[in-house]
Amino acid sequence: MKFADVRSKRSTGDRPDTHPAEGLAASIRGLTVSLERDGARSEVLRGVDLDVGRGEIVGLVGESGSGKSVLALSMMGLLPQASRPRTHGSIEIAGVDVLNSAPSELRDLRRHELGVIFQDPMTSLNPTMRVGTQISEVSHDRETSLQLMTSVGIPDPELRFRVFPHELSGGLRQRVMTAIAVAGRPSLIIADEPTTALDVTVQAQVLELLADLRDTFGCSVVLITHDLAVAAQIADRIAVLYAGRVAELGPVAEMLRRPTHPYTVGLLSSRLSLETPRNLPLTTLKPETATPAERMLGCAYHSRCPLADEKCSREQPPLAPVALGADATLLHERSCWRSVAQVQALAHSRAPVDTVLRSESRQLSEAGESVRLDDVHVRFVLKSGARHREEVHALRGVDLTVGAGESLSIVGESGSGKSTLLRVVAGLIPPTSGAVHVGNKGAQMVFQDAGSSLTPWLTVGELLRERLRPLRLGSAEVQRRLDLALTTIGLPAGIANARPSELSGGQKQRVALARATVIPPSVLLCDEPTSALDASLAASVLNLIRELRSAFAMTVIFVTHDLSVARLMGDQIAVMTQGQIVEMGPATDVIERPEHPYTRSLLASVPTIEVTTS
Amino acid sequence: MLKFIVRRLGSSLVLILVLSAIIFLLQEITPGDPVRAYIGLNASPEAVAAARESLGLNSPLPLRYLHFLGRLLHGDLGVSFRTHRSVVSDLGDFLPATAELVTVAFVFALVLGILFAVSGALRWWGTSVLRGLLLVLATGPSFLLALGGIVLFYSRLGWLPGGDRGANASGPTGFLMIDSLLHGDVAQWATALQHLVLPALALAIAPAIAIGRILRASLETTMNADHVRTARAKGLSEGAVLGGHVVRNSIGPALSMAGLQLGFMFAGVVVVEQIFSWPGIGNYLARSIPVSDFPAIAAVTLVLGTIYIIANALVDLLQAAADPRLNL
Amino acid sequence: MTVAKIPASRMRVLAFTSRTPSGSRASMAVASLLLLVTIVAVLGRVLSPYDPVQPVGMLNLPPGSPDHLLGTDSIGRDLLSRTLWGIQISWFTSLVVVASGLVIGGAIGVTAGVCGGWIDNLLMRFTDLFLALPGALVAIAIVAALGPGLKNTLIGIMIVWWPYYARIIRAEVKSLASRPHVEAARLAGVGRGRLVLRHIVPGAVPTALVTASLDIGNVILLLAGLSFLGLGQSAPAPELGADTARSLQLLLTQWWIPITPGIAVLLMSLIANLGGDAVRQLLNSKR
Repeated sequence: MKFADVRSKRSTGDRPDTHPAEGLAASIRGLTVSLERDGARSEVLRGVDLDVGRGEIVGLVGESGSGKSVLALSMMGLLPQASRPRTHGSIEIAGVDVLNSAPSELRDLRRHELGVIFQDPMTSLNPTMRVGTQISEVSHDRETSLQLMTSVGIPDPELRFRVFPHELSGGLRQRVMTAIAVAGRPSLIIADEPTTALDVTVQAQVLELLADLRDTFGCSVVLITHDLAVAAQIADRIAVLYAGRVAELGPVAEMLRRPTHPYTVGLLSSRLSLETPRNLPLTTLKPETATPAERMLGCAYHSRCPLADEKCSREQPPLAPVALGADATLLHERSCWRSVAQVQALAHSRAPVDTVLRSESRQLSEAGESVRLDDVHVRFVLKSGARHREEVHALRGVDLTVGAGESLSIVGESGSGKSTLLRVVAGLIPPTSGAVHVGNKGAQMVFQDAGSSLTPWLTVGELLRERLRPLRLGSAEVQRRLDLALTTIGLPAGIANARPSELSGGQKQRVALARATVIPPSVLLCDEPTSALDASLAASVLNLIRELRSAFAMTVIFVTHDLSVARLMGDQIAVMTQGQIVEMGPATDVIERPEHPYTRSLLASVPTIEVTTS
Repeated sequence: MLKFIVRRLGSSLVLILVLSAIIFLLQEITPGDPVRAYIGLNASPEAVAAARESLGLNSPLPLRYLHFLGRLLHGDLGVSFRTHRSVVSDLGDFLPATAELVTVAFVFALVLGILFAVSGALRWWGTSVLRGLLLVLATGPSFLLALGGIVLFYSRLGWLPGGDRGANASGPTGFLMIDSLLHGDVAQWATALQHLVLPALALAIAPAIAIGRILRASLETTMNADHVRTARAKGLSEGAVLGGHVVRNSIGPALSMAGLQLGFMFAGVVVVEQIFSWPGIGNYLARSIPVSDFPAIAAVTLVLGTIYIIANALVDLLQAAADPRLNL
Repeated sequence: MTVAKIPASRMRVLAFTSRTPSGSRASMAVASLLLLVTIVAVLGRVLSPYDPVQPVGMLNLPPGSPDHLLGTDSIGRDLLSRTLWGIQISWFTSLVVVASGLVIGGAIGVTAGVCGGWIDNLLMRFTDLFLALPGALVAIAIVAALGPGLKNTLIGIMIVWWPYYARIIRAEVKSLASRPHVEAARLAGVGRGRLVLRHIVPGAVPTALVTASLDIGNVILLLAGLSFLGLGQSAPAPELGADTARSLQLLLTQWWIPITPGIAVLLMSLIANLGGDAVRQLLNSKR
């Protein structure tokens, strides 16, 4: 596949030996960590075994709450004292017993052997200290710091040496963070979600940088991420973490080709990619139903696992080698009671079928148009003073027509103007110039953070009734419409009395959708409605939006930064950058035959999982 | 940075003008007649009318304000009803004593505040008892602290003097503790310090706690900040983490609280100086209030207000120096 | 132009209670102290055993004397009665000041926050001007200019007290107004008035209440100070600060006479601070 060449370049290559037995950068044995939160103690890690070889990149993958960040902090000896950590087991890095060493030894370890990259470079750098000083704290002299800045790809290091973090872009900040991480010539770099806060194109660059650093400095890397594909890009081995335990651990290619743990299978199948079939409902994982106590007892995944049986809920499966012949030097391990064959069967049960795509180029003339924008410009005044006036030209002449019942995905990075465009269509922002026409039933919108789009002190029922007020219906009719709306959206009617804080993330987004469609609008605007949700929840919300669209014959405009989602949600895709639509066309055309260079660079940056079906 | 300084000083100037306008307006509505202050209570109605004309009191309000400003710029703050002297020369006599008291009290407040903020790190049980005591004392009115101090340390224990400055300043600075050192008079220096302790503490405790609490909260927040975790991850020593990454980042809120507390100290100094018969402008103001000596009241308010405004401009500049993000 | 400073709390001094999840019952108990003081203040005149203005006993009786629990002053008036009357005046006056801050500051803050644009600019510049002046000192000057008395004291403090509330409420309203739920409500067809009253203002209420309850102690202290300087009611009316000032000459002989009203002020301010802190914790834990 043509999008996967980033990874293939890395995985074969002449890098230092990756054989764990020949020398370990880090060795973790039976690590158990419990932390106190709000007075209640809970086990965050429950017997983790993990080795990191010299020069190896290990991807640590897990969803929120899997314990991956706590694992990183444990390795650094920086567990937050406020949550009174209790630890068992052992962590050995460069001959230092991390869990039982004096603070000064740990400091030396961190200074000489460890480099760390945190998720948010804005908050992780000291806002009051010059960038150069922050690097020099580790490298100790200016010359080395400048060299480091050059080697992590910071242009104009002399100039950038003297600036403060807030004067840099997100990508450059993460490069500074990386320069700090490698400044002490560490043997191990721990990168905790280093790309999550960054735009897609910058993400790819930072990943590439990490791989380069491993090649230049010969250090090992632990790459922590929630996205299997991100890890797959540069990692040699992947450890999948679930509820504080290693579910599966093995060489990247092996694991992707032949996952042997049901959770890994679930992760792979619920992941949205550019190959996900567009005409089928998206695969979703079963939601967690077990209580924390039940999860402690058996396999933590049993309540969500399609293969679980009696034993799974009673006994905790140990991490054991999988007998796989292909690459005997790199061990493939998993913790599951069911046989490899059963898991593999599960993996193939939903194999992508090449079906004919729904005819997407519906004739505009038949259906009429639902949204039309003519040469729309939007300018914001950021700062207005007597003398200086800072302006942002958020939209620079956008022409757009969306037919009734059609769906359009708008893709772009932060600052591209895509959200502004949506707000202009919604009528929330008046265009500075140009004309906006929306169908006679108006536009409704669902927001990225559904929780904050619901008024916290009003109940779900009050929020929905507010939409029905202008219709001046009788109270019985209002009640009927309200119940209907909730049922349509898949929520129990009793939820009408709940306040938003009592709902789960998925339920909040459903309520937002119910409010938007209780009177079906001409056009439903979606502003990244799933980017704050866990992967499997996101899939179910996307399914729901598709169902609502066909049920109410609405036009849908779906804004996202994720090309895979855009492809799934739109008949058409429009690519935006710097306030303009640079490319627009049928989804498959844009994805398969991109014309604009920017579209191509976006596509090249999408982290993909390469499954070699050899 | 220069632009920021200029802008901040400009805004202070505007504030001082506003303060002067407020005082001018108050002077306009005050029941006392300024004319009588100039020419005496026994003057004939004709003389009053003439003086009113010559003082410009019959012209429209904005003009009268300009006139008032003009007099201010020439250092003419009027004549006190009570002392029958020019208010400016009264202030010249009394200001140094107040300046010394407030300076010492402010230093006390800062030191106590910092101690209060960092004492949480000490494990000794006594610190929490002391902190609790300070917290309770800080909720008391300043006159209670002053009186309690006198009863306990002067009347009962006899450790400290119960009032007065102990001596007259003989120049050149008007600060007894500095002048005595300049004259090589150590005994007088000790006396001056003894006399300062009680009034300064009475003034300092409430601000100290306010500053200390803010400092403590912001130290705690900073200690948990991501960038401090980064600093630790770099393998820096605790000292380097604190010095390089914590103190500068958490000083801002405490600074602005300190600036704010100066305003409350200026109000407290009126009460405390009266109780300790301190020969300062607070006492001068306290004595002017019962006899409605408005020129004196106005002058003291204007002087202390101006000092407050300038001090807070300095606080802002210090904050901007500590945090480059503010320097925009 | 002007630089406004809003530290986390104005001159707020007290936080004994720590953040424990089980502390909500304790917070409730402490917060109810505010109610208790209010009841004492309401019943102040009924509870006081004697007429506070008339000499009713021997002169300069020490505390604990039979018939005169807190003793008598230099002309034989009952100190307990005077203190109770003083508490009543002081407590209600500070409640009125705080309420005025809430109403005036709230109106200005909500208007500025909701309208935005030049109205916001104008109102906030005006607010900042007041905020950048030393409020307590200006209050002294205002009352001195208007002449002493309870009404003038109230006016003087009210004039300098609202800007703080305006700032805080405006900030809260502004941040609420920029939340997506307001955009969502607008899209759902909610009218402007309803939007403000139903989707914005209720969100600012907890912050305003916390600010107000933490502020009562500050007002009590300022009132006591003004009264001490002779800017309150004229003699012989009982008033806590003034009673101290009038008996200063007894400090070295009968120290309890000038100290007693001061202790009453301290207790009220202590309870106000503790109660305010408890209210803050109760409201925060509910979010």
